[in-house]
Amino acid sequence: MSNLELPLVFFTVLSQTAIGLVVISTLRQWAVEGPTGSIRGEWITASAFIVVGMAASFFHLGHPFQGYTALKHLDKAWLSREVLGVSIFMGLTVLGMLMAKGRINGVVAFGAALVGLTTILFMGMTYSPPSYPAINNILPLVFFLITAMLLGSSFATWFAPVEKKAWLTRILTVTLIVGVVVYLIVPCVWLSGGAVMAQTGWAWIGSSLYWGRLVIGLLLPLAMIWMTRDVPVWLPVVILLGEIMGRMVFFKDTLHAAGNLGGLY
Amino acid sequence: MKKQYAFFIDAERCIGCFTCAMACKNQYHQPESVIWRQVYPIKEEIYPHRERAFYSLACNHCENPTCLNVCPVVAYAKREKDGIVVHDQEKCIGCGNCIRSCPYGVPRYNPERKKAEKCSFCWQRIDAGHKPQCVQSCPVEALQIVDLATFDKPGAVQYPPGFPKYPKLNPSVRFLMPRLPRITGREDI
Repeated sequence: MSNLELPLVFFTVLSQTAIGLVVISTLRQWAVEGPTGSIRGEWITASAFIVVGMAASFFHLGHPFQGYTALKHLDKAWLSREVLGVSIFMGLTVLGMLMAKGRINGVVAFGAALVGLTTILFMGMTYSPPSYPAINNILPLVFFLITAMLLGSSFATWFAPVEKKAWLTRILTVTLIVGVVVYLIVPCVWLSGGAVMAQTGWAWIGSSLYWGRLVIGLLLPLAMIWMTRDVPVWLPVVILLGEIMGRMVFFKDTLHAAGNLGGLY
Repeated sequence: MKKQYAFFIDAERCIGCFTCAMACKNQYHQPESVIWRQVYPIKEEIYPHRERAFYSLACNHCENPTCLNVCPVVAYAKREKDGIVVHDQEKCIGCGNCIRSCPYGVPRYNPERKKAEKCSFCWQRIDAGHKPQCVQSCPVEALQIVDLATFDKPGAVQYPPGFPKYPKLNPSVRFLMPRLPRITGREDI
């Protein structure tokens, strides 16, 4: 969005990681048979991600101590809804962590997962304003869901029992393939759009962060999984690095419509 | 239609002198990076002549303003009596969502106040019966205020080339396009 917006990069990536982790953890506990693994550790990690992400979000405010007033426009502003969603998700995740004994209470776990996924929808709406023709559509939601599933399934391998590693590896592999396809196709499609959309496509393609994100965050993990048939313990950190690079491209190289005032649209 | 004030930009008359932008700065003394009114040269792909043409642009005080819709703290309001979109600095928390969301790039971040701000249509001057400072200062009367409820100028357009089209926002602005200079040849006589 023409500015690096680092606090928003970390807020969106870390909160989506937490949501992905909670969704995968909930599915693993309640929808797949077999041992559950270290659920408490998983929810402690999810809580840490969402708390750090939430803290990062305050750094992009000019007046962070008035941040609570961002809940005032729930009837119209997607940002207000996003703030509410993230706050409820954080509350439920921390509650789940505190209550964790073997499994998380089903109501809390499914509640957190559902609120988390709804929050990703709110985020998708917040970051698709009319001012950015290239992402004034469903793409931010798709990007954010890919981030949540990639990081959720990869970090979950730290806590899952051996019996469920293969299940997680399959989810991660499919999401990596979807990610490669989406991130390769989208800038190319933009090239055939209007002036600002095409400029955005060229800006992404010309960005070293974009290629770094493709290679480090998607292709390298795919190659590692293909070679080892497993998810190495360091791989989630590499995928997280790739996602952060990808989110930097999203904020920095997506061009604003006003940048072309006086020219053809 | 209710009363809706709008800027009318006569690009045929505008000479790109920036007096409107300077008058705005003189009135409000914004920091260097904060610009409420800007004069944009129309690119050669639209106006192919060595003499340039310009659009003097500020807030369009849209009928359905994005800034108002996305602001999480309800810092924006649209005045019932004349449609001017006003930003309340006291409520603003500097989240930048309006800056990211307005497709015309109108709200700007004031690094000193750490808040967003934008053209106010000089509503205080309007309420006192005066014109906005930019309109007042234009030496060629290329910038005027009109009421869209009664405005009916032939040839005026809402979305000229070089100005993005957002019908959902319905920007309250009208333009008269510049004409290319005409060379009279023997065949015209």
